[in-house]
Amino acid sequence: MDQTGKRRIELGVLYSRSGNYSLISEACRSGVLAAVAHINADPDHDITFVPVERDPAGNVDHYAALGEQILRDTSARHIIGCVTSWSRKEVIPTMERHGGTLWYSVPYEGFEASDHVVYTHACPNQHLVPLLDWALPVYGSRAYLTGSNYIWGWEMNRLAREIVTGAGGAILGERYLQIGSRDVARMIEEIRVTRPDFILNSLIGPSSYEFLAAYRSLGKADAHFTPQNCPVLSCNMTECEFPALGDAAEGLIAAGPYFRGAMGWPDARATTFGSSHEAAAFAAVWELGRLLNRRPGAENASLAELLRADASGVIDAETHHTRLPVLIAQVRGGAFQTIRATGPIAGDPYLSRGLASVPLSPNLRVVS
Amino acid sequence: MRRPIRVSNLGQARAIILHRAHATVQNLTRQLTAIGLEAVQVWPTLEPEALGADFVFFDADMGHDEQFPWEPGQSPMPMIALIGSEAPGRVEWALRAGAHAQLLKPVGDNGAYSALLIARDSFDAQRAGAAEIADLRRRLDERRSVVRAVALLAAQGRSEAEAYGQLRQMAMAWRVTFEDAALRVVARFDEGTGADGRHNRG
Repeated sequence: MDQTGKRRIELGVLYSRSGNYSLISEACRSGVLAAVAHINADPDHDITFVPVERDPAGNVDHYAALGEQILRDTSARHIIGCVTSWSRKEVIPTMERHGGTLWYSVPYEGFEASDHVVYTHACPNQHLVPLLDWALPVYGSRAYLTGSNYIWGWEMNRLAREIVTGAGGAILGERYLQIGSRDVARMIEEIRVTRPDFILNSLIGPSSYEFLAAYRSLGKADAHFTPQNCPVLSCNMTECEFPALGDAAEGLIAAGPYFRGAMGWPDARATTFGSSHEAAAFAAVWELGRLLNRRPGAENASLAELLRADASGVIDAETHHTRLPVLIAQVRGGAFQTIRATGPIAGDPYLSRGLASVPLSPNLRVVS
Repeated sequence: MRRPIRVSNLGQARAIILHRAHATVQNLTRQLTAIGLEAVQVWPTLEPEALGADFVFFDADMGHDEQFPWEPGQSPMPMIALIGSEAPGRVEWALRAGAHAQLLKPVGDNGAYSALLIARDSFDAQRAGAAEIADLRRRLDERRSVVRAVALLAAQGRSEAEAYGQLRQMAMAWRVTFEDAALRVVARFDEGTGADGRHNRG
């Protein structure tokens, strides 16, 4: 109990504050801290979250050990963190051993439904599948695929290949870079020669920044490679990386549950967010707060127990994924403008409902 | 080239878990439900309605042949062994029972998805292989018919090579295998001589 009579609950926070994807980590962290501040100041909550932070500094080998440290040395049972799927998969065995829960608030490639993870950002039926369903008839079905060399890029591109070839299209090239590599010349040259209809970019961090800048230069030299004619599509790019992109972001098309100014999700008292990373991290902490609020002792319960006691929240009891809107937006004049949107749909991590997408309607909402 | 695995049609598939009630069954059921399957636990035997299941997970520790409504190794669906004791005798039995993949016990938070995909792929490959072997074996058995058909066609004044070519033409025209064309030629001849024989006797 603190001075206000609230229960003090330690909350693990495991984000890399340096390294290749720190812009995303910082966006997530802002969402976490905003939710913590909201809950701590809210008289309707009888809990106060006390963040316990550890910084893996972008090194994938530090995640499991630091996650273990939090669960072993503090009273925290819940950790929010991880950006890459690689780091998430490193942390899950630790969560299993100690009965902890990881709250993961970044888009990912699906095919996972751990009993010890809550997924509050989009999986492929909420990003890639609707994005390609919309893009193929608009731009054509000859695609070039890029990705960082780990599970996110591999699985996104495998799925893209399945969808594109299933629609009678073709994959003209597929190339990967080590995380952190800026060696994009070969990709750009292959794209120049094969002249695809669009590019699906699943690179992360500096590789992606370098790629988008080089592609913008290519567009200046050859009019085929303009956003109108051959756009770059992404399921992981949000506003939080604009500072690293500058003009190179212009024309980029992305899918996600939120873009700056969108309304409706997460339902957070008119709070606005800088990006969907921030929003999804906020939503995660907010939901955890709801599950623990006015339930003394619940902070020591497992995720399964929490969901058994209260199934009314946003987390699907079977998959631990959440219902999310699907927005497709393009960067125009330095901000994402939503061009298609659909109401919240349930996460389907194993695509067990098939590859059929939901119909997207032209966005009629006012976007600031 | 190896074909890509089928991943997106596990939804609504039915899995039967042949195992006594146990935490392993709970955890496995949780995994299967999250993947989109409907899972049912049964013990100690599979009833005939199990024939309609899409996957069977079976206990390799306490299992025996009489639990299954089919001959060992003849399951009409992919089978996944749940192995606790990694003893050679038990692994041998699980293989003989027809395991297409395995999952180690205690089953926890993961493993079911890859077991499902590997089991189905092995099952499909095994089934395609068996069909191909049966077809090749049948064609091998028809070697005699081919030799006879070529000899019969050659007896009509052609060289052996010409007779062979004629038989190939017939197979193409009839849209049947070379061996089936040979069978038809031989049957036609046998009918002819058979009829002649009866006629001669009469």
